[in-house]
Amino acid sequence: MLESVIINSRQHVGLQKVSALAGRFRSSIGPIKNYKFIQDEVSGESVLVCSCFRIIENLEPTCAVGQLVYETVQAHHKGYRSGSGCLLFLAGAWSRTALDCLQRGIAVTHIIKAMSEGIDICLDVCKKSSVLFKDIAVMHKRSATPQDLELQLSEEAIADTSQVAAKVHDKCLNMSGQRRVKLSRHFCEAKSEMLSSALLPDLLELPDVAVLAESLSHGCEDAMKLAVEAVQMLSKMNQQDISDPSFDISKVQTCVLPGLPEDCTCVVEGCVFRLSDEQARVAHRIKQQPLKVALVTGDLSQTYRHLGFKSLSGVGVCEHLDLSASSKEDEWLEKVVNRLLNLKVNLILTAGLASQKVIQQCCRHHILVVEKVNSSVLRIIASSTGAVPVSYATQLAEHCVGNGINVEIWRDLSSYERESSTAVNISNGRNGGLVTAVITSCIHGKLQALEDQFWACAYRLHHALKDRALLPGAGGTEVLCVHQLQKQAEYHRVEDSKTGSAANLYRGLVLQLMADGLIDYISAVMVSTGRFSAAEARTIVSNQLQDFHKDEIIAGKFWQLILESRREDAVFSAGKPDEALTVKIYDNLSVKQEAWRKALDLVFLVLQTDAEIITGTGQRTEENLMRL
Amino acid sequence: MKLNSLLLMSRLVKKSPSVCTDLPLSSSDVCNKLHLMKEFLRSSYGPTARLKQVHNNIGGSVVTSSTSSVLLQAIASSQPIISLIRSSILNHVSRFSDCGLFAAVFCLCLLEQAGQCGLRKNVMIKVNKHLLSLCTGYLQQEDCGCKVKLDFCSSQNLITLARSVISSKPTCVLTEPESDHISRLAVQAFLLTVPCNIPDTVRLGRTATITIEGHSVLKSAVFPGLLLSTPENLCFDSLCSPLHVVLFSISLAGDLSEIGDGRIEMHQGVDVDSQILDQLLELGKQVLKDGVKLFLCQKVIHPVLQHYLRCNGVIVIERLGVSLMEPLIQLTGAQPVATLHATIPSTVYGKVHNVCIRQFGSKTMLHLHPAGETAICSMILCHRNETMLNELKLVCQTTEHVLRLTLREPFALLGGGCTETHLAAYVRHKSKNEVSESTSVLGCSQTEYLLAAEAFCHSLELVATSLEHDGGTSLIDLTHAHHWTLPSDVTEEHLEGVMAPCGCGVVESCQNKTRSYLDTKYAGFSPAPLLTASPLQATVLDSFTPKVNALGVAVETANLVLDVRYVIQDVN
Repeated sequence: MLESVIINSRQHVGLQKVSALAGRFRSSIGPIKNYKFIQDEVSGESVLVCSCFRIIENLEPTCAVGQLVYETVQAHHKGYRSGSGCLLFLAGAWSRTALDCLQRGIAVTHIIKAMSEGIDICLDVCKKSSVLFKDIAVMHKRSATPQDLELQLSEEAIADTSQVAAKVHDKCLNMSGQRRVKLSRHFCEAKSEMLSSALLPDLLELPDVAVLAESLSHGCEDAMKLAVEAVQMLSKMNQQDISDPSFDISKVQTCVLPGLPEDCTCVVEGCVFRLSDEQARVAHRIKQQPLKVALVTGDLSQTYRHLGFKSLSGVGVCEHLDLSASSKEDEWLEKVVNRLLNLKVNLILTAGLASQKVIQQCCRHHILVVEKVNSSVLRIIASSTGAVPVSYATQLAEHCVGNGINVEIWRDLSSYERESSTAVNISNGRNGGLVTAVITSCIHGKLQALEDQFWACAYRLHHALKDRALLPGAGGTEVLCVHQLQKQAEYHRVEDSKTGSAANLYRGLVLQLMADGLIDYISAVMVSTGRFSAAEARTIVSNQLQDFHKDEIIAGKFWQLILESRREDAVFSAGKPDEALTVKIYDNLSVKQEAWRKALDLVFLVLQTDAEIITGTGQRTEENLMRL
Repeated sequence: MKLNSLLLMSRLVKKSPSVCTDLPLSSSDVCNKLHLMKEFLRSSYGPTARLKQVHNNIGGSVVTSSTSSVLLQAIASSQPIISLIRSSILNHVSRFSDCGLFAAVFCLCLLEQAGQCGLRKNVMIKVNKHLLSLCTGYLQQEDCGCKVKLDFCSSQNLITLARSVISSKPTCVLTEPESDHISRLAVQAFLLTVPCNIPDTVRLGRTATITIEGHSVLKSAVFPGLLLSTPENLCFDSLCSPLHVVLFSISLAGDLSEIGDGRIEMHQGVDVDSQILDQLLELGKQVLKDGVKLFLCQKVIHPVLQHYLRCNGVIVIERLGVSLMEPLIQLTGAQPVATLHATIPSTVYGKVHNVCIRQFGSKTMLHLHPAGETAICSMILCHRNETMLNELKLVCQTTEHVLRLTLREPFALLGGGCTETHLAAYVRHKSKNEVSESTSVLGCSQTEYLLAAEAFCHSLELVATSLEHDGGTSLIDLTHAHHWTLPSDVTEEHLEGVMAPCGCGVVESCQNKTRSYLDTKYAGFSPAPLLTASPLQATVLDSFTPKVNALGVAVETANLVLDVRYVIQDVN
């Protein structure tokens, strides 16, 4: 059955839907986030959500456009864990841009061409305005004396960051050039770097993670503190090269402990798991001694079969003697336990679930079973203990068993909850290289949001260390993009009036409208901080832009602008006002670029779509439907 | 007796009589549906097409596309005539990959025009058939004015052909450098699949396509040999070349799924699972004894067998999928094993020169280098999101097919609607000149013949017009009969300054030519071939074989539909 909606091109329904959907997130973007309840009218259940991603996840859009938006946000969230709000908002804003263009009778192909040019301008601005780590380090050093911070920054260090960088490069080059004569070429490169950093200690150093974190926290100071601890702990454990810092996300896991007050949140070396009372008793027995460990990737139960295994449906047994299923299970269980005892395994970690019977039987033999272990954690434990993960417990053999792992009682949680439970820490004394962020809250509904915030911060640090550069935050990059877009729009307008060519007729207009979308974003963020009304926010932004246009000279100028904007919306950091003044705010380079790109791709797809085909027999009574 | 039993029955289920529609094409319902289908497919045609979202309205994933195979698969109709057209076009697409929308739009235009001109159906059918043979005859001629001979000494025309196919699907959202890059890759992959030393029978190789989401299109690449997705923690010691390979097409999951449905009786106490597993391990032992280093399976391999093999230094890869089997067979020379109940003869083993690991974003790939000369290559396609990537993969497969077809008939047609307008002008001119001979053969009046020919030509022109979706108007020049588009926002005065080259890019605008709007009547003329010293350098080229076939499919399908007198539907 074909039901298609032919959309009037002047009122593109798809774009209107994107715009309307994005509108729901208007108050949820920016650093200050309010909790929202989402209530299911049918079941009466409600959830407490904080991030844009969780909101759209819980809204469960069903229309085709809504699905497309959700799929896009999901893909972004998977890789970045932040920036979903920015993506959604800009998808909405640029949908309105496209709608606006359609209403003015601009052809779809022209809109796409011009908007592609627009995004190229924006991405180019990102590339050019990104601040390299070494420059951040320089700035941080200089700004250590807090007096006249802004002035100094804007006039000296920052105005010519590129020059400083260039100088440093020159020096390095010269240095290695000189050295090359004396040293063997095999040593040259490594040596020269060491030398130059020794000679220019304050210029070449990388910024401290804590400094980065402060400017990337975007209102989640507590979560960011936790993430910094995780980075520092990991780098200490793995004795990382300081000149090459990175943050391996796969070595971090979270453990959510409801009931504990929020100040118990911390980062712990090793893996923390919550255990039931019965398992805890075993843990107490085997704690603080080197244990043998077995890793199982499947479920610990007799009925488990690996993925892709098809059970037979039509099997009949010839002689109907009563051989009950339970005895089969007992047989299997005995086999497994015997094998574990033979191998002297005291600890089993499984990625899947374990049946209650297995857990009980193992407890009886003082074997601790831990379920639902993250598979990346399993891999890391495997490599550090020498264990080989297997799919079935019956598969275990001598060479699959790992050595030297410890169980410690991390905390007794019995006083916080109705059913008593215990958190244990599983680690191996050597450099296993795993850390756990323990996230606690007395309010059960908040835990998800707290965990999300932690991951958002952790991913921001991860991407910052990967990019080796940051973008000026607090709307700075956006303002610069707006400026560039407007400049280009103006250029097109002048060109067109001069030559009278119609080819670029609309480019100026489309770029201008795109810039308006970004202005809308900046002011929405300002409004969501609660300190500005929509009108005030717009005035501030347009004043800044005017100043900017007037003396459009140096690249250094925009820094000042950002610093000023920061002072005005110190807000952005959401901290105490005076503290906020001394902290520069940065955004992630790759996250922002990716979110923008994805938002525009979404707009392109929806803009070009004029009909939907609804397959299946689902009854729907709606106007505009046509049946084939 | 029968009556009696019927009367005794407590309930009678009444069978509704079949519904018979007389002259379906004159029913307004059918006409409306045909019109809807035409508008729907027309709006999906060409590089500036409007896209369609396909979804099931209960929260399933959304497919965005303008590809005929996707769209026609998705639409289903209770109207047999629609289904007839749909299946006929789908059949064309499954054979030629390209020109599905062209065939559909042309066929539906023919039907609509036939309805409008009000001629007897049998006259229409006869004239259509006659004009089709006129068209195909002209296209096969050496001096055909809308055909370009492909020169395999230069890749230029091949790349143009590939780019025309690739950029015809706007769902891919490619920028100019991106579509250039992909076109070049497509041609490169095609050339890699043509074997160098030619034995008696030429056998083309295969391109295996691997998609990676989240990267820039410009990171797409082509590699000789095969790339297989592997589990992350793959490690192997240095292996001596060549490596022996075994390839299974049967599932080694340890179940009995391969024996089909039905009831199985077995004795009590028999543990089927462990018996099959024993069998599998037996297999593993034999393979190890035979020195196999690479163990590949189309389907799932039992984890215990995997574990056993890995412990013994064998590289194991499962779930290859059916599409990789043929390339693997060609690359390694292995014969796929489809049983686990017999010892494996040593003749089924294949070999590869060596293997190495390649990392693409989050994907780890095992790169198999062929032991000898083979024509197998892998194409890595990257795009920013899933929707665009899916369409890009489809369009690249179409391109591969189109390029392969050029080996048989090394021609391309001028694209951008120029072939359609050129053919229309040719047919119009020809039919006017030969009107008396034709009518005597076809047995119809001259007026009838000319009316039917006009409907045919106009349908062709309508297909060219369908390339425009932003309100622009289509023009034809009265010299070469090429297709030109006038954007909606350009006025007549600016025309000369603005006018870009024609649709295919061969005719420049500066040449002084009179043009006519396509929807107005113009005096018939014989389209002049372009006389240039150098071979034609078109910017848009259409595939030859698919288009010629699509032309035939469209006319024959339209004729078949015109020929339908009754539709009888069983409504029970």
